[in-house]
Amino acid sequence: MKIFNLPDLGEGLAEAEIREWYVKIGDEVHVDQPLVSMETAKAVVDVPSPYAGKIVELHGKVNDIIQTGAPFITFETSDVPDTERLGKNPDKGSVVGKLETSEKKWDDGNVIIGASKPKSQTIKAMPAARVLAQQMKVDLSQVTPTGPQGLITPDDVKKVIDHKPQSTKLMGQTETLHGVRRAMALTMAQLHRAIVPVTIIEDADITDLPPDMDMTVQLLKAMVAAVKAEPALNAWFDGNALERKLFDEVHIGLAADTKEGLFVPVIKHVEQQSQEALRQIIDTYKNAVRTRSITPADMQGATITLSNFGMITGRYATPIIVPPTVAILGCGRSREVAIPRNGQIVIGRMVPLSLTFDHRVVTGGEATRFLGALIKYLQENN
Amino acid sequence: MAEMTLVEAVNQALVYEMQVDPDVIVMGEDVAKNGGVFRATVGLLDKFGPLRVLDTPLAESMIAGLAIGMSMRGLKPVAEFQFMGFSYPALDQIINHASRMRNRTRGRFSCPIVFRTPFGAGIHAPEHHSESTEAYFAHTPGLRVVIPSSPVRAYGLLLASIRDPDPVVFLEPSRLYRFAKQEVTNDGKALPLDVCFTLRVGEDVTLVTWGAMVKETLAAANSLSQQGVSAEVIDVATIKPLDMETILASVEKTGRCLVVHEAPLTCGVGAEIIAQVAEKGLFSLKAPPGRVAGFDTVVPYARLEKYYIPSEKRIIDGVHRLMEFA
Repeated sequence: MKIFNLPDLGEGLAEAEIREWYVKIGDEVHVDQPLVSMETAKAVVDVPSPYAGKIVELHGKVNDIIQTGAPFITFETSDVPDTERLGKNPDKGSVVGKLETSEKKWDDGNVIIGASKPKSQTIKAMPAARVLAQQMKVDLSQVTPTGPQGLITPDDVKKVIDHKPQSTKLMGQTETLHGVRRAMALTMAQLHRAIVPVTIIEDADITDLPPDMDMTVQLLKAMVAAVKAEPALNAWFDGNALERKLFDEVHIGLAADTKEGLFVPVIKHVEQQSQEALRQIIDTYKNAVRTRSITPADMQGATITLSNFGMITGRYATPIIVPPTVAILGCGRSREVAIPRNGQIVIGRMVPLSLTFDHRVVTGGEATRFLGALIKYLQENN
Repeated sequence: MAEMTLVEAVNQALVYEMQVDPDVIVMGEDVAKNGGVFRATVGLLDKFGPLRVLDTPLAESMIAGLAIGMSMRGLKPVAEFQFMGFSYPALDQIINHASRMRNRTRGRFSCPIVFRTPFGAGIHAPEHHSESTEAYFAHTPGLRVVIPSSPVRAYGLLLASIRDPDPVVFLEPSRLYRFAKQEVTNDGKALPLDVCFTLRVGEDVTLVTWGAMVKETLAAANSLSQQGVSAEVIDVATIKPLDMETILASVEKTGRCLVVHEAPLTCGVGAEIIAQVAEKGLFSLKAPPGRVAGFDTVVPYARLEKYYIPSEKRIIDGVHRLMEFA
């Protein structure tokens, strides 16, 4: 047994009057079948049946006024009414809706009408300057603005970076590695488990070279000459597939030391570049590393690596190969030495070289021939 | 002093102004005998009679046109549309005539009309009773668009709107109509138009909102304060013309701006605010300005509308996105 209450037949109508019943007690009806004609303050409307079933009782006769929500028709039906199908409190809508009411108090607090000027002068910075300062951990309040209306420009931030002490870390505190330094720790450990590195060392006599020559550029050019003599060191090696790939072109990764860690930007096609062009590329990369504007693409595609640590300190080293390349040249600090020449002792200048190669794929003969050709170029082609 | 709901404050302001200014006329569908679909005009017919409180036919274009004619001859009509979705038939009259009459007549005529309508979702009504299309009006030169968010502001801003010599679209957040009560002093003092109301002072982020979203935004600001984030909350109140001075001063202080509105995201008033923040406040920004808004869809029916209206959580998430920038 289901009792159908009179629904709101308009928008917020309180009642409606029965004009004509279309059904009588005992009738079988189907869903949406018109049951009754009702007159409201707005219109005359037919009320359709909400259920399929038998009419058991009509709660009014023609001309009776029924209140909205009052029992209207009783059905004998197995239909499940909406209230049971949707739960006790269905989230139902209606034409006028239902306003949330509460006894809550509206607390506006202290409302300020209109603008109030910030008490202290705030920092104004170009977005690029903010990003740079964030990456380089520069406090913007320590930057002297030179832009219009006291605006901090990226150049202003760079000035602070240039004057920042090399080590900003606090001593004695444990520090989790991030970024470049973290990547270095992970890759180096992984690589060293597979590679079979052998290092050979030799000095190159650069006594006859002009004192102001550009050592890094000379080394790059000498590596190209050595690759021509012995291509096996300008290669990629896949230790799992046991595949080797030799290259005609020489892309040299140039290891750069920064306080953020090791960066290895790659100078592409060294064999095609003039000395002046090489210097320019190196300077551009140096700047890019310092301002952290270097891109991942700038650091990919090396076929061999040069680490010119002699600019800092150290004579020989056992530099670590960066796969998939198979060789890395280390260049230490050049020094004055006593050299026996034609039975005389002369004061000359030597630059110490360390060549590490992967013995899985490079033979000792190939490596020594490579280093020999490299030294020959340094000593003779100037 | 009396405690009242927002809709009662609207009624109070109408009563006050009709008492002091005989030119004020209230008109609309069922506003007189019935007292209005939300009872905003209840009692006015008894107090002021059928010459000043007019039941109109169901024809919104006519309501607006009638109000324009009255206003040009010295009356100050306050016309009600039952729901925002019903104001669209009147857009022709509002856009083509009311908004530009002053300009068209080189200042000889103006239209001191208030077009009142409830708006916004959250009342379990059909979609054309639930939408927030304030941007339609804000886009039209010559219209003022005013949105109160509390009983006090409903009272003060409606008085100011009636006294304004040009047309005002006064949008009442129906979700807040009876949500809470507030002491309202019935002293006839108007609040200023064209300025923002800073409801909460903060240091880390500026939350810019209006209408019913003030409720969720204040709740979000409270939750954020427990997480150590100090949020400033600005109720724009007049969304056209915009008081960018207040918003920019706040953004200059906090460096972060999140606009919260119930209207769909695309071309909402938030887009205009963010554009101006970018144009005039970019160098103070610590993070890209953000928006939390309704979705680009028709307002869903009762059971889904809670997913449509920006929730406290969506606002908090939006603030966290901005706080990721140092």
